[in-house]
Amino acid sequence: MPLKLTVDSDRWRKHVQAFAEATPGLVPVAKGNGYGLTLRKLAHQTEWLNELGTGVDTLAVGTYNEVWEVATRFSGSIYVLTPWRPYSPDINPEIADRVIHTISRPEDLPLLLERQPNPRVILELVTSMRRHGMTPSDLWPTSAIAHERARFEGVTMHFGLDGGSLAEVRAQMDAVVGAEATTVWVSHLSANELAQLRASYGDVIFRPRVGTGLWLGDRGALTVTATVEDVHPLERGYSYGYRGRNAMRAGHLVVASGGTAHGIGLEAPLGDTHLRSRALAVARGGLDAMGQSRSPYTLDGKALWFAEPPHMQESMLMLPSGARVPEVGEELEVRVRYTATSFDEIILDS
Amino acid sequence: MSLTVRPITAAEHLAFIEKQPSVSFLQTPSWARVKTEWRSESVGWFDDLQGGALVGAALVLHRPVPKLERFTLAYLPEGPSIDWSGDLAPWLEPLASYLKKNGAFGIRIGPPVTTATWSAAQVKDGIADDTVQRLGQLTPTHRDAIGARVVSQLRAAGWKLQSPEDGFGAGQPQYNFVIPLAHEDGTPKTEDEVLKGMNQLWRRNIKKSAKMGVEVTVASPTNPANGDFEGDLSAFHDLYVHTAQRDHFTPRQRSYFSTMFWAMSSEDPDRIKLFLARHEGDLVAATILVRVGQHAWYSYGASSTEKRDVRGSNALQWAMIQDAMAAGATTYDLRGITPTLSTDDSHVGLIQFKVGTGGQAVEYAGEWDLPLNKPIYTAFDVYMKRR
Repeated sequence: MPLKLTVDSDRWRKHVQAFAEATPGLVPVAKGNGYGLTLRKLAHQTEWLNELGTGVDTLAVGTYNEVWEVATRFSGSIYVLTPWRPYSPDINPEIADRVIHTISRPEDLPLLLERQPNPRVILELVTSMRRHGMTPSDLWPTSAIAHERARFEGVTMHFGLDGGSLAEVRAQMDAVVGAEATTVWVSHLSANELAQLRASYGDVIFRPRVGTGLWLGDRGALTVTATVEDVHPLERGYSYGYRGRNAMRAGHLVVASGGTAHGIGLEAPLGDTHLRSRALAVARGGLDAMGQSRSPYTLDGKALWFAEPPHMQESMLMLPSGARVPEVGEELEVRVRYTATSFDEIILDS
Repeated sequence: MSLTVRPITAAEHLAFIEKQPSVSFLQTPSWARVKTEWRSESVGWFDDLQGGALVGAALVLHRPVPKLERFTLAYLPEGPSIDWSGDLAPWLEPLASYLKKNGAFGIRIGPPVTTATWSAAQVKDGIADDTVQRLGQLTPTHRDAIGARVVSQLRAAGWKLQSPEDGFGAGQPQYNFVIPLAHEDGTPKTEDEVLKGMNQLWRRNIKKSAKMGVEVTVASPTNPANGDFEGDLSAFHDLYVHTAQRDHFTPRQRSYFSTMFWAMSSEDPDRIKLFLARHEGDLVAATILVRVGQHAWYSYGASSTEKRDVRGSNALQWAMIQDAMAAGATTYDLRGITPTLSTDDSHVGLIQFKVGTGGQAVEYAGEWDLPLNKPIYTAFDVYMKRR
């Protein structure tokens, strides 16, 4: 039985629509595993938002490999977040006009111009994050070429998760004005920061890119469940599992769907740098080493412990004696990181 | 481009300025003779690739700091006059090393580039709108890409913006109010067009002053045909001291104005003019007009408390605008405004007076410092902030 994502479609759509309506200039982001919802679903949803008249005319994808999958389901512009490089694949001519390229190095624009005449381009400005992007002195001559030989769609800047400091954004705006750009594509700016920028730069269009807040903003609309595939009673000292461990106390072994192939048990590093959370991580690591760590599976609202590290498609969980023993076929709720989980089945409830 | 900076004579400097459409009067060699308390020099940029042609110039005022006699802050008010449109490092780096070698612990410049302009109507609406506190909260009618690049480059190169957030600081104002005397395509405006840009009150007051028989005369030390200049200057100064008492500011000495008129007039007889408005023999207002090339500035003003209804100040402004237009000026500059548009701000009346002329609010890049000797610059900065 599969690891399953159940979407309360009405509730989810309501959130997505409300979010789009409250976010002028919104550019939905559909990349990677589509925030657990798949690129296809997000592309359809973006098309729906566009049809609703929310002004959502552009969808951002992560890489060139993701373009085609959304292009057949969404009719607007597709903005590729990964900067164009000489080794980037050619775009299918049928949709080339809908694709907006990100240029993050001055040397790349002339090469793209050789490959595709009059391409749509966004120029990336480097921020304090220092991932991709040009310095202002590289940006301005590049923008002059973009104005002349390409369709210059604006400047993009990426801020870290905390957003930019408003002082930094303002400094960046001098670089933007210097490039004579009229659209700025931004990520991770708070509504307040955006409002202040819009007030001062009414002659500039700000387009916030949003993934998580848009698609996963209403967690209550999403439920992830695994199925109990087997239950075995366990006496103290019994051996079990791939590694032949001995049970330290009596209870039940529960085998449930969902394993490393789905992303279960794989943890992305926490972005948190606080001492307390680091200490917790160390403590968790200690439990991991003893084969005891808290699993994302819950029974009756209580977290279960892994009996051993998850397998590829299923996990073995330890149920202490005295707890209610679930039936085979029963569903367990699972808390997952959506961006790192693939589901066997997505069910749209409405 | 390979540029060298070295001292130039006042004559070379003046010849360079005369070839430029617009240079601040604070960057003329004669301004050095007005600022007698500071050592000063003219410096030039020479392009070695263009056969050593003089391609830029600046007046540097060396401002000494108490207890640090050996070191000065090199101050280039509203300057230098260089090509601001491209990469600035080739211009500013040789300037910095020249000044450092000559004892400067820091440089202060005021790039004469605008970053944004707002129309008079926008400023007026901004004052009326309670949610708008500052000019920067309003979208400008025009934003200048070159100005933005200057600001961005200065910041990246370690220069520090000195212009205060609000109000007037010690330096030159970052926000000015100007009346364009030419259309965007460069063709001169007619007097009618400039008058039409003014609000009804201004037009009415200009008309009224003429009807009430206000007479405007112009005096300059190099034109004896205009009568007794020293007498006129004394009359101006008396009225100016009166204005200072009424409006609570500290007046400058008569000798300051005398030096200013003689120094600037000897450089160019049309550089500076004293305008006087009299009604039935009584001096009701007096102002000073300065012009360099196509840029004219209203720089000092005085007015009587009596006979305000004859509108001497409006008569003088209009006379100065007409004079500037006749001389081929494209900009009439009413000088600084504060960027605050809040009606609680004490400066808002000044903005409202200037806004009535039509014209536009202009934001400049502001004044920027580059520390050349960090410990001394820091000490200076602390000293200035405590003062």
